[in-house]
Amino acid sequence: MKTLLQGNYAVAEAVRLSRVQFVAAYPITPQTPIYERLSDYELEGKLKGVMMRTESEHSAMAACISAALTGVRTFTATASQGIALMHEMLHFASGNRVPVVMCNVNRVVAIPWAFGSDQSDSLSQRDTGWMQFYCEDAQEAVDTVIQAYKIAEQVFFPVMVCIDGFFTSHFLEPIDIPEQEMVDRFLPPPDIPNRFDIKNPAYVGNVVSPEQYMVFRQKSFEDMEKARGVIKRVDDEYREIFGRGYGYLEAVDTEGADVVLATSGAMTSTARVAVQSLKDKGYDVGLLKLRTFRPFPTKEIQEALKGVKKLAVLDRNISIGKEGIWCQELKAALYPLKERPTITNYIAGICGADVSPEMIEEMVINTLKREDAPELPVWVRRDQ
Amino acid sequence: MIETKFIGRGGQGAVIASQILAKVFFYMGKYPQCFSVFGGERRGAPVAGFLRVDDKKILLKCEITHPDEIVYMAPDLVDEKEIEATLKPNGLILINNALTDNEFSSLRKFRLALIDALSVSESLGLGATINTAILGAYARANGNVPLEYLEKAIRDTVPAKVDANVKAAMKAYELTKIVS
Repeated sequence: MKTLLQGNYAVAEAVRLSRVQFVAAYPITPQTPIYERLSDYELEGKLKGVMMRTESEHSAMAACISAALTGVRTFTATASQGIALMHEMLHFASGNRVPVVMCNVNRVVAIPWAFGSDQSDSLSQRDTGWMQFYCEDAQEAVDTVIQAYKIAEQVFFPVMVCIDGFFTSHFLEPIDIPEQEMVDRFLPPPDIPNRFDIKNPAYVGNVVSPEQYMVFRQKSFEDMEKARGVIKRVDDEYREIFGRGYGYLEAVDTEGADVVLATSGAMTSTARVAVQSLKDKGYDVGLLKLRTFRPFPTKEIQEALKGVKKLAVLDRNISIGKEGIWCQELKAALYPLKERPTITNYIAGICGADVSPEMIEEMVINTLKREDAPELPVWVRRDQ
Repeated sequence: MIETKFIGRGGQGAVIASQILAKVFFYMGKYPQCFSVFGGERRGAPVAGFLRVDDKKILLKCEITHPDEIVYMAPDLVDEKEIEATLKPNGLILINNALTDNEFSSLRKFRLALIDALSVSESLGLGATINTAILGAYARANGNVPLEYLEKAIRDTVPAKVDANVKAAMKAYELTKIVS
C-alpha cells in the first residue's frame, strides 16, 4: 500500500515486516527515527521481538552478534561516529558468519561536526567482510532490507544497507509498503543454527595458527564469491513477487555511449534528471547506477561500460591521499579491459552539499570536452 | 511540478504545515516530496520547510532554489531582495501579516496574498501555532486545494485541539486577502 513516509520510518516498516526478533541499537542522527519507530512498535506489540537499548554502538553490534548466534533474526541501525565506534565488532560479525542486517544512514564523520550525507562512514568499513548495498531512495531501502535477510541467512555474511542521511532518511515521499502476507511468502522464518548455549553462556574465540587463520579467510573469500549468485537469485525472486528489483547495478544506455556518468545513492535520482536533459540536447550519454559495493560487481561493470570512451564518476565521499572511493574501485574493475574509457572523478555533495541537475550536466559536458583525464579528482562546490 | 517554500520561526509550525500540505496532495493522488533544512532547530530561530508536488514520481534530491510559491509565516523574515532573486515569474507569495495591504507594494508584480493568521489562531485558542490557519489561507491563494482534503489532512496529523485547527483553516480561508 502506498504510504506517505520518511525514509527512516520506511526502513522501520521493513524491519517489522521481516519479523525481526531482536533489535539492539543506540540513537544517532540521522538514524534516530528508525530507533524511535522500532521502540514504538515494541511498545505497541507490533515488533514480535525484543528491543535492547544499549549504551553504545559497539555494544549494540556485540549484542546483535550474540543474539544471531542463538539463531534469531537481528537488526541494528547506525551512522557516522556510531559505525566508527562499531568498527571492531563489524569484524567479529563477519568472522562469526552471523547474518546480522544493519541500516547505515550515511553521515559525515567528525571532525568538524556536521550532519549531512557522506558515504565515507560506511565505505571506510570496506574490508570488514560485510556485504554493502547503497540505495537510491527509501523505496529501494525498504526492498533491500527485506532482501538482505534472505541473502544473509543463506550465505552467512552480515549485510549493510546504506541510505543517504536526509535525502533518503528524512525526505517525506509516497512509498509502497509491501503486504505482510507477501513478505512472509518471500521471507520464511529464519533457519539459523543455534551456536550459543544460553544455559551455559560462554564465548570462545580460539587462538589459531597462521595456516588455520588463512583457511578461515580464504573460506570467507570463496563464500563471498559464491554469494554473488544468491544476491541475483533473491533480487529476481523479489522482482517476481513485488514488481521491483535492482540488480548489482543499473546501466541505462551505457553500451558504446560517448560518455557515461557513474554514481550511487540519492544523487543517482538527480543524475537521472541531468542525463535526460543532456539526451534532450542531443548528447550520447549513459548512466551507471552503482548499488552493490561488496561483493563488487567487476564483471557487470566491464559489461556495462564496453566501448565507452569517457566516464565521469561522481563520488559523495573522499579517500584523502587518493580520490573518490567508487572511482578507485571502478578504475580497478576496468583495468583488465584492452580498451578503457578515460575517467574523470568529481567530488561533490560532501556533507549533503547541494548537487543540482545543472551541476551534474556540467560535469558530464566537461568530461566530454577533456582530451585526457585529470590526475586528481575535480572538486565541485556550489560556492565556487 | 510546483515547488513551495515555507519560511517561519521555530515553534510556528512551518515544517508541520509543509507536511500537512504534502498529505493533502498525497490524498489528491499526486506525488509530494517534503523536507526541511536540518541543523540547529530551536524555538524562535528561522526555519524552512520545502515541498515539491508533481503528477509523477519526483527524482530531484536537491534544494529548491527557484520556488513557485513562498509562504512567510513570520512577516519580519520577508526579504524582498531574495524574492526578486529566487521566486519564479508570476509566483505566489503568502504572508502572515497583521498590517494593511499598503505594505509590500513592490511585491505586487507577483501573486500576493495576506492573512492575519495570528489573530485567527488566537481567536480559536491555538495561541501562536498558526500552521493550520496558514494552510487555510494557502488553499485560498493557491486555488487548487480542495478544503475537504485539507480538513482530512489536518484531522490525520494534528495531535490535539483538532476541531479548533480545522476551524482555523476554514476561517483563514475566508479572511485571506488576495492583493494581486
